[in-house]
Amino acid sequence: MEEKFARWNTLFLIYLKRDWKKMIVWILGLGLFSSAYVPAFQEISKGKGLMGMYETLQNPAMIAMVGPTPVETAGEYTLGALYSHEMLLFCGLFAMVITVLHVVSHTRKEENLGLTEIVRSFQVGRQANSLATLVEVVFINILLALFISGVMISFEADTITVEGSILFGASIGMAGIIGAGIALVMSQLMPASSGATGAALGIIGLLYIIRAGTDISNVDLSMLNPMGWTYLTYPFTGNNWVPLMITLIFSVIMMAVAFALEGSRDMGAGYLHEREGRERAGKSLLSVQGLFIRLNKGVMISWLIAFIVMGAAYGSIYGDMQTFLESSEIVQQMLTHSGASIEESFTGTIMMVMIGLVSILPIVLVNKLFTEESHSHLNQLYATRVTRSRLYWTSIGLAVSTGLVGILLAAGSLGGTAISAMGDQSMMGMIDFLAAGFNFLPSVLFFTGMAALTLGWAPKWGKVVYIYLAYSFLLNYFGGILDLPEWFAKTAIQSWIPRLPLENFNTLVFVAITVISIALMIIGYLGYQRRDLVEGA
Amino acid sequence: MPEIVNIRGLQKKFGKFQALNDVTFTVNAGEVVGFIGPNGAGKSTTIRILLGIIKRDAGIAEIFGKDVWKESLEIHKRISYVPGDVTLWGSLTGGEIIDLFLKLHGRGNQQKRDYLIKRFELDPKKKAKGYSKGNRQKTGLIAALAADSDLYIFDEPTSGLDPLMESIFQEEVEKLKAAGKSILLSSHILSEVERLADRVAIIRQGEIVESGSLEELRHLTRSNVTLATEGDVAVMAALNGVYDFEQKDNQATFSVDHNQLNVILREASKLGVKKFESVPPTLEDLFMRHYEG
Ligand SMILES: Nc1ncnc2c1ncn2[C@@H]1O[C@H](COP(=O)(O)OP(=O)(O)OP(=O)(O)O)[C@@H](O)[C@H]1O
Ligand SMILES: [Mg+2]
Repeated sequence: MEEKFARWNTLFLIYLKRDWKKMIVWILGLGLFSSAYVPAFQEISKGKGLMGMYETLQNPAMIAMVGPTPVETAGEYTLGALYSHEMLLFCGLFAMVITVLHVVSHTRKEENLGLTEIVRSFQVGRQANSLATLVEVVFINILLALFISGVMISFEADTITVEGSILFGASIGMAGIIGAGIALVMSQLMPASSGATGAALGIIGLLYIIRAGTDISNVDLSMLNPMGWTYLTYPFTGNNWVPLMITLIFSVIMMAVAFALEGSRDMGAGYLHEREGRERAGKSLLSVQGLFIRLNKGVMISWLIAFIVMGAAYGSIYGDMQTFLESSEIVQQMLTHSGASIEESFTGTIMMVMIGLVSILPIVLVNKLFTEESHSHLNQLYATRVTRSRLYWTSIGLAVSTGLVGILLAAGSLGGTAISAMGDQSMMGMIDFLAAGFNFLPSVLFFTGMAALTLGWAPKWGKVVYIYLAYSFLLNYFGGILDLPEWFAKTAIQSWIPRLPLENFNTLVFVAITVISIALMIIGYLGYQRRDLVEGA
Repeated sequence: MPEIVNIRGLQKKFGKFQALNDVTFTVNAGEVVGFIGPNGAGKSTTIRILLGIIKRDAGIAEIFGKDVWKESLEIHKRISYVPGDVTLWGSLTGGEIIDLFLKLHGRGNQQKRDYLIKRFELDPKKKAKGYSKGNRQKTGLIAALAADSDLYIFDEPTSGLDPLMESIFQEEVEKLKAAGKSILLSSHILSEVERLADRVAIIRQGEIVESGSLEELRHLTRSNVTLATEGDVAVMAALNGVYDFEQKDNQATFSVDHNQLNVILREASKLGVKKFESVPPTLEDLFMRHYEG
């Protein structure tokens, strides 16, 4: 015991010191995200709001996303019931994912980087690092749970009871601890740290999808799922503490397994060995395009799937649109315009939201070229026949194409689900949805152009594009409520674009923004042609 | 002899910092030029200018008689490069990366690739994230050596290689040399440079302080002499051109300027020489002299 865990407490204190900033961001960020929406939900619940939300969330597509509620009639659906129904699963999921990333980066990743080797050469037990990291994340998740409960209680809102608030916070904290157990076990099994992160997140994703199925077909089966234990506590309604007890036992077992596994493995090696890769490159890799696609494959696929899910989620609301909109004045103000059907006004706004999110992917892809550059990955490539112009335009081309595919998937999946949810009453066809989506194409191009411009002239400022995107997004999202002056609203690029299908397509605006965006890309190219390439100097 | 690399009065500033002041040297056809100098002297900076990765502020930099910035594409068809710290994409295997580089180079040789992978004992099926520093370096070397180029540029190519692999690299470079290729070799391993290089350029604080064949450079500096005489050897210490004189009984060690050798030998013979050994300066001596001075 002494030999294995010697001086873990010293490491623990060092970690707290090293991580305190991260801890504050983690606890405040996730904590407020989980607890601070109570007033917003109070607003939504006014009038017939709760009934509307109840109906909306009974939709199987919504249950698949946010989980079930034990409440059986709309009349009993309280603010507390709504809050835990909408929020708990997602907040627990976030807590789990963040904990996984933290645990792997402090255990297996440090081994890969060779830091553990140095630490172990001191008088430190072989497993002290894992224990210290584990105690640290448990500590963080307990603080997180207390913080969430505290904030929720402080609102003193009707039906947000003290017991419910404590259970709500505890469920999220326990979700994090489940994540720690999974991450620690995977860190022992997988051949490298990236594999451990991937496997742990993969398991979490799988548990989420399985529970989506069992939640719809038979909720009792979700009780067999560790992911289920987090939200089946039903804070504010059932107040069921049993799942948390199960979680506790489960986590202790997982951690015991992890320590046993770690005790008998070599440092830097997992139980599973790295699969052999290809000895020779396939044809698809042997070009700059091939290389870039390969490097970005993971990011592109996950974002594109996210777009489809997002479209389907919003699309499923179309069935009960009327009830949903009557739920709140704010929502009405944001989503409706006089003289149009609710579905049409909703489409206009939601499309702006979705295509705003679609714009992230092209920015990521353009910025990736600079990431590669600064990691010196391109060092040896520069000395081949590959020109700067090839590197640049391949990146831009990839960004623009994924932007197009992204719009197609988001708008298509929204349209598809919406049309099937509305059934016979549908007044819009697929083509209307696609038109509304591609109407925003110039904004996607514009963000791509901005990213290209920074890549060429001031690559260190690449992140600023995200800030502008967030700014324009918020301006448009809340613009309807705030009643901003025209010139101010127009500082966001999307404000220039008419909202289809409510308004008419504006060819001039479409062409003008597209031309400006292409000009930005060309100016960026001129800079990229002549600047010094950075490489880990 | 045609000049393959021609650098004249090269200058480069990073912000206010003058990294290159006045770099001038050439690499002729079929020649191996060693490029040495202390850390931060500007070797990698010079090489990165040659590759068109960064842009020079002033001076001439040409490869194959073409401007390295304006005509980089033409130049890159005929050169290979290995950086001192090869970084690879962790998700690709070594084999895939080598193939990719050879394809993008355009004149890769499959047989040579397979031969070198065996020779350097690289496991091409392993993902690069699992490679050690030495294995990453080998991947970069194989990709460069398996391509058919006219000029090979190596920036500390053997950093992280074990001595066995290092000597395999040197053998491969000798083969290139025998095939009439030109090579620019920057390295801190002076024995490597001594073995391979026809000529050496020494850079210090952004300036070339010495360049020429090893023979010429040796001549510029002093030899180390061990002398034992019948008479009192101490009188030698007073002669012009004798430095670092140390005496033990009747035996002394000191260094001498080559142009004073004749006078010194004449004086020594007067004392009755019992033993005379002269060792030419190693590259290390040369280097240390510039490094310290
Ligand atoms: N991108 C850059 N920005 C600022 N300074 C730089 C940059 N690149 C190089 N330098 C500086 O220029 C000088 C020369 O660097 P260089 O890398 O050419 O040295 P070197 O001779 O290759 O050294 P070493 O033997 O350590 O590899 C150093 O002082 C370095 O700090
Ligand atoms: Mg260097």
